[in-house]
Amino acid sequence: MFCRTQTTRAAIARGSALEMEIRRGKFRRSVFLDTLQDSDIQKKIDHEIRMRDGACKLLAACSQRDQALEAAKSLLTCNTRIMAYMSELQRMKEAQVMQRVARRSDGTRSSDAGPMDDRLPCKGKVAISDLRIPLMWKDTEYFKNKGELHRCAVFCLLQVGGEIHDTDMVMVDRTLTDICFDNTIVFSEASPGFELRVELYSCCSEEDYSAGSAPRKLASKLSSSLGRSAGKKLRVAMDPGACSPTSNAGAATLLLPGPAVAGPKYHLLAHTSLSLSHVQDSFRTHDLSISGNEECSYWVPLYGSVCCRLAAQPHCMTQQMMSGCLKVKQLGGDPPSWTNVYGVLKGTNLFCYHRQEDMEANVEPAFTIAINKETRIRASEKDPHSKAQSICISNQYGGEEVTHTLSADSREETHRWMEAFWQQFCDMSQWKQCCDDLMKIELPSPRKPALVTSKQGSLYHEIVIDTSDDISTVTDILTRRMQELELRSQLGTSPPWMSLFEESPGGPRTPRLARHSPRSPHRLPHSPLSSLRCPWPGLLSSDASLTSDSDSPCSTSPCSRHRGWAEPLSLSSPRFRPRTLSLDAKLSTLRGRGYGGVLQCSCQPPSSSSLAPIPAQCVPQATLSCSSSTSSNSSSEGSHSPSSLDGTPFSRPSSARRSLRNLRAKLDPRNWLQSQV
Amino acid sequence: MSSFLSQLHFQLSCALQQRIEICKLRQGEHLILGFSIGGGIDQDPGQNPFSEDKSDKGIYVTRVTPGGPAEVAGLMMGDKVMQVNGWDMTMVTHDQARKRLTKKNEDIVRLLVTRKSLEQAVRHSMM
Repeated sequence: MFCRTQTTRAAIARGSALEMEIRRGKFRRSVFLDTLQDSDIQKKIDHEIRMRDGACKLLAACSQRDQALEAAKSLLTCNTRIMAYMSELQRMKEAQVMQRVARRSDGTRSSDAGPMDDRLPCKGKVAISDLRIPLMWKDTEYFKNKGELHRCAVFCLLQVGGEIHDTDMVMVDRTLTDICFDNTIVFSEASPGFELRVELYSCCSEEDYSAGSAPRKLASKLSSSLGRSAGKKLRVAMDPGACSPTSNAGAATLLLPGPAVAGPKYHLLAHTSLSLSHVQDSFRTHDLSISGNEECSYWVPLYGSVCCRLAAQPHCMTQQMMSGCLKVKQLGGDPPSWTNVYGVLKGTNLFCYHRQEDMEANVEPAFTIAINKETRIRASEKDPHSKAQSICISNQYGGEEVTHTLSADSREETHRWMEAFWQQFCDMSQWKQCCDDLMKIELPSPRKPALVTSKQGSLYHEIVIDTSDDISTVTDILTRRMQELELRSQLGTSPPWMSLFEESPGGPRTPRLARHSPRSPHRLPHSPLSSLRCPWPGLLSSDASLTSDSDSPCSTSPCSRHRGWAEPLSLSSPRFRPRTLSLDAKLSTLRGRGYGGVLQCSCQPPSSSSLAPIPAQCVPQATLSCSSSTSSNSSSEGSHSPSSLDGTPFSRPSSARRSLRNLRAKLDPRNWLQSQV
Repeated sequence: MSSFLSQLHFQLSCALQQRIEICKLRQGEHLILGFSIGGGIDQDPGQNPFSEDKSDKGIYVTRVTPGGPAEVAGLMMGDKVMQVNGWDMTMVTHDQARKRLTKKNEDIVRLLVTRKSLEQAVRHSMM
């Protein structure tokens, strides 16, 4: 039988001297390989130990609770990884010993031949994302207004075989209805029989750092090198069949060689195991086994389920499993004619291209033959005309059976193709529903800097929505802002470009402004206010493109979520036009981006060529670091300013007014709303 | 006989918990489920015609479109929605509840509902 893992292809008589030689050669090779794998794991263990030492030092050194929690989380993750690697090492060593013992004794050929006969299914990528764990606070908890917030830090540990990943830490208090982990975690080499263990750890955020539960004596004993008795304990603990490395976090830390650290300790709150049967292309709810009860300090009231998206991409669906030149018999016609194609077996299809270059150039294949669970493939008898065997692939299309006959160049090629097909069937039977359609797995994006929601100077946080909320509230706040800004402009020195907005025509004028100058005189009395107000529609429109273009982070602090736009009043520089832009940014997040699209049509498009000198000065310090496209966008704001309305602070489409009315209706407690879904 | 039934009524007014899976129907731009909800922690619970306890601020099904995906899946008027795809619905505002049902990236919603069907059946039989 032909097996994927075997490198030799030719059929060799069992028990022959040649076979023995090959086996011996393999044996030697495998020993070498094992040592390589050993050293690989050893390196990983060393790395994790270094990480752990670092985390311990950090834990001892840090003063803030948040830092301590993060450090404790990394410590737990490192410990878990070390345990997993050590148990893997243990298993490998045991396997080696078993192999050597087996080979030394006689009559072991049959047992050796066993694994070589079995076909191993391909591995695949398994991704878990959008983890959500609903909480179930008691009525009294939820509506409690006084008393300090009981907070817990939680995170999830996800493990498939030797790969362990942790999610970000989330602080949970009674204002949260669900714990959401936004991370997407991808395990790259998972077999179809994988078991994904999801463990939720939590730690109370209020206790002070108490010394570890391990008594001093034990701690000192453990910090010394692995002695005989300690090693035995370790081996017992790491017996993979008995328990998972993280089943009891408290005990695990006791048994691990390492210093006992003071600091916050995470406890296992809940866990569950997911496998291939739970894999689906959509969100699913799974039950959680909860350990711990209300009396524990680390208790968080869980609803009892976890919702997530578990997707799998077996390699047979994403990679080319086999490719080569084939001849396809044309259906009908006698004598039969054969077409030369370049066939590629990938996923559930055999793509046939006219030439190999077509495949590389991503040209559509000439035709595609489905290879799925319903397909039947057999090698037919030798065709009298050709030397090699041909392969018949039958599919049911609708009610009809369609058979394609393929032939390879040589006998060896035919064997290779047959072997590839058998492997494909094996993979499909093992991976089951994952082979029906390719599930999408989003690669986790590079980690963005943590969003800092600064609560000062943010317009969004200032707006209080109550039942009498109206546009007037928003207008009031904005007017107040404008007055503040006006005050500032009077105090500070105005840069040359301020003249764009000021009444005094003394400043440098651009051709653009000159065009609109007839309009500006009648704005003079409210110039700073109105000209600052007016840019908003334009600003709103350009903001949408602004925030999408500027990727570089804000160079001044605090770094707001509007990617490069500084907080309105926290910039000490007297440049004030940028502040309106950032106010505007806040407004647009409030009202939604759809806004910007509506307004943009009504304004003139900027002529960017004439505005080239201005943007460099207009843009605030922070945004100078942004891409040049941002600058050109900000210039569009300048162009829009004169063309917009004078009286109202912003021109708003009627849909916004409607939504406000809806908002008012929703917030009126006398209603009992009904919504159609 | 009626006394027996009334005894039954008091003893067996249990709530039936049911899992209902609704496949959303695409109508142009929208994915619809075919029912209406009422309730929420920001709503006045006294106006809920379906709840037994007039301080219950949960989400109730107020109407089921005939022939719609919800009716096909077995949802009934008066059901109280406890969970939607793992999200808790017993402590949510009306808008939160609506949002959780109308997520654009979800084609199927799995609801956990409770239904006082036995009590209703007894009531109907007594009428």
